[in-house]
Amino acid sequence: MADEEKPRPVIPKGEPFIKTDVISPTFMMQYDACTRCGECDKWCPVLDAKDGDRKYSPMDKISRFRSFMGQSYGLKAKLFGPKKLDEDDIQDFTDAFFHCSTCGVCASVCPAGINTVDMYEATRQQLVMRGNGPYGKTVMFPKLIGEYRNPYMKDQKQRLDWIPDDVEIAEEADVAYFAGCTAGFNQQVLGVATARVLNHLNVPFIYLGEEETCCSSALIRTGQPHKGDIPYINAKHNVEALEARGVKKVMFACAGCYRVATIDWPKLLGRKPNFEVVHVADLLADLIQQGKIEWKKSFDNKIITYHDPCHLGRHCGVYETPRIVLDNLPGLKFVEMDRIKELQRCCGAGGGVKAGIADVALDIASERIRDAQAVNADILSSCCPFCRRNIGDGRDNVYDQIGATDYDLRDNPENKMQVEDMIVLVAELMGLSTKIKSQEEADKAAGVEPEAPKHLIDL
Amino acid sequence: MAEFSYYSGIPTFYMMIGIAMVAILIFLLGMYLNMQKWGGGSASHFLKTFIKSINHEKLGHHKRQSLLSTIILDILLQRRILRRSPFRWVMHMMIFVGWIGMFILSMVFAVFEMLHAINIGHFDLVVIRNSLDFSNEVLGYMLLIGLIIAIARRLVIPDVVKRTQIFDWVLVLGTLFITVTGFMAEGFRPDAITGAWTFLGDNVALAETFALFHVAISLLFCIAYIPYSKYMHMLAAPMVILVNGGGE
Ligand code: HEM
Ligand code: SF4
Ligand code: SF4
Ligand code: SF4
Repeated sequence: MADEEKPRPVIPKGEPFIKTDVISPTFMMQYDACTRCGECDKWCPVLDAKDGDRKYSPMDKISRFRSFMGQSYGLKAKLFGPKKLDEDDIQDFTDAFFHCSTCGVCASVCPAGINTVDMYEATRQQLVMRGNGPYGKTVMFPKLIGEYRNPYMKDQKQRLDWIPDDVEIAEEADVAYFAGCTAGFNQQVLGVATARVLNHLNVPFIYLGEEETCCSSALIRTGQPHKGDIPYINAKHNVEALEARGVKKVMFACAGCYRVATIDWPKLLGRKPNFEVVHVADLLADLIQQGKIEWKKSFDNKIITYHDPCHLGRHCGVYETPRIVLDNLPGLKFVEMDRIKELQRCCGAGGGVKAGIADVALDIASERIRDAQAVNADILSSCCPFCRRNIGDGRDNVYDQIGATDYDLRDNPENKMQVEDMIVLVAELMGLSTKIKSQEEADKAAGVEPEAPKHLIDL
Repeated sequence: MAEFSYYSGIPTFYMMIGIAMVAILIFLLGMYLNMQKWGGGSASHFLKTFIKSINHEKLGHHKRQSLLSTIILDILLQRRILRRSPFRWVMHMMIFVGWIGMFILSMVFAVFEMLHAINIGHFDLVVIRNSLDFSNEVLGYMLLIGLIIAIARRLVIPDVVKRTQIFDWVLVLGTLFITVTGFMAEGFRPDAITGAWTFLGDNVALAETFALFHVAISLLFCIAYIPYSKYMHMLAAPMVILVNGGGE
């Protein structure tokens, strides 16, 4: 799907066709450091999903931008003026450039140590400012997040709606839970599970509620941080609100928000917040290692594997604690898939790909399901709502394909691989309910008794 | 016989100095333009940002390593290539060590020649040249073998063939051409040990012309051309590694 016709920028005579004012000098230098070794191409999930079409090769995209830069700022450009670039070529390049989930595996494998993700994001911003980007529906993000303070078009007042009656939120505590928009509005099971687990473990926490605003990850990843300066405004607002509550730690269960808090908040604000940023997996792993967690339920000898969210793993370096947690869950054998940790295969959702280029996101997620099938996993777990959603879609896609011929599976859909977030599994195994508030209320109205998940056995 | 006017192989020492100056100027101009491009129009802005960013603090749980480890492990030993492909590491190390080694030896000899030309110090240039001969030979073969592997890869391995562009060919073939002319210039010179003329008998004029040709294109291709070509990676890649901290 190409974008609708974009307005063409008017370039004054003698001016370069592409400016570089938002690409920092060290990122500009990185374009010239590429050795064209092709290592990134071997790992890029998007290039894979596009069947090796060179237009989507990270190596060739880098060369293409370098060549634009050479034509605009090189020796010839200095002597005879910048070359007139073909607008269609720039647009074609931009569209290819937004076909990238900012997963960062190319940075992990790059022998020249290029920090591709930050370089791409800055370049995307430049292309957006030029009028060529972003791609597809991601163009809506600034309006949604700017206007509603969340991408789901919900009223800020509804931020408290997910909290079930049994969940206790403290007025004052050392820990804050930053739920984020997805757990708060869209996949409430994650918020509910996290809150109940924290309550169960006697970790009192505060929650900003109506005061919490979107982390704005979607804007930063898609090169739109300048539109209304929303990421900066939201970062300042969230950090100052959390600091005003005097918390020592801010807990995240969403990889996207955690990445923003760890890396983007300090960059946007030019300082580190006065609190520690932790992922809920860090806390759980710590308590498990101290022997402080008691499980009430168990799986019945299932195989589980873990998908590292790019934003938690490669971007922030959190690889071990989710593994410690999953490895200790009762009744589960933990196995590793192909392509893990810094070499993980992205699920394909990030960087605006899920919102902008859904078919590519689905293809990549399906590959990840095949990785999990290859190690006979019954459960594929992760620590990120976007991974959960997209890999879940990938699972349905793969099973739709095999379901047509596999009658056993068609008749027994419960044999499908389960795609579930770590925190939900933890809550279930602690014997806690993972029913969201609206579901509980509906059950109550219908007179349905709550029951434990059928796939678990008592310990 | 012109044996004593014939040290590095250059008939007129000043001619070499002239070409070297031109090559260095072209190189500096290219570097200046690159830094200007990187710095959004200001080379000094680039330099300031670059120096400030060296080994900048990483955010998150990523482990830091010392600047020294970055320089030794990631820049000199290039473990990031090794980790991905030992085969390509061997290839690149051959090119890297061969090239840099010969570059350093040439610089050393050029200094002696300069001192000699302005009559400082008392040494025998032939002895010095002969003492460098063995190292030069070894480094030359390393470079040659590395380049042959690189070319073979680009001709044979389907994936590599598919993604090879002119930009890649210019660098490998250009470097190969210079390496080969280097071997030929060496072959045309009087033998280091016996003093007998090889290849060309004692056609000194031809040998001198050829040596001049080799040195001139080496300077132009291997120095002047760096900022304008894929060679730029030999400076930019280590600079990027310094900024991003390398690792693993
Ligand atoms: C830390 C510094 C350097 C790094 C990290 C680096 C990295 C690389 C990499 C990854 C490649 C691609 C190899 C491939 O195609 O598979 C390459 C190619 C090459 N490098 Fe370097 N390099 C460095 C310095 C140098 C230096 C100093 C030279 C000196 C001449 C050099 C010469 C070459 C050549 C000739 C190629 C082309 C090989 C080909 O195209 O097949 N490199 N370099
Ligand atoms: S960040 Fe990921 S998707 Fe983007 S170019 Fe690199 S490997 Fe491909
Ligand atoms: S891995 Fe790095 S050096 Fe190699 S082609 Fe990709 S960006 Fe260039
Ligand atoms: S959704 Fe998960 S795997 Fe996918 S891009 Fe985001 S963090 Fe990466």
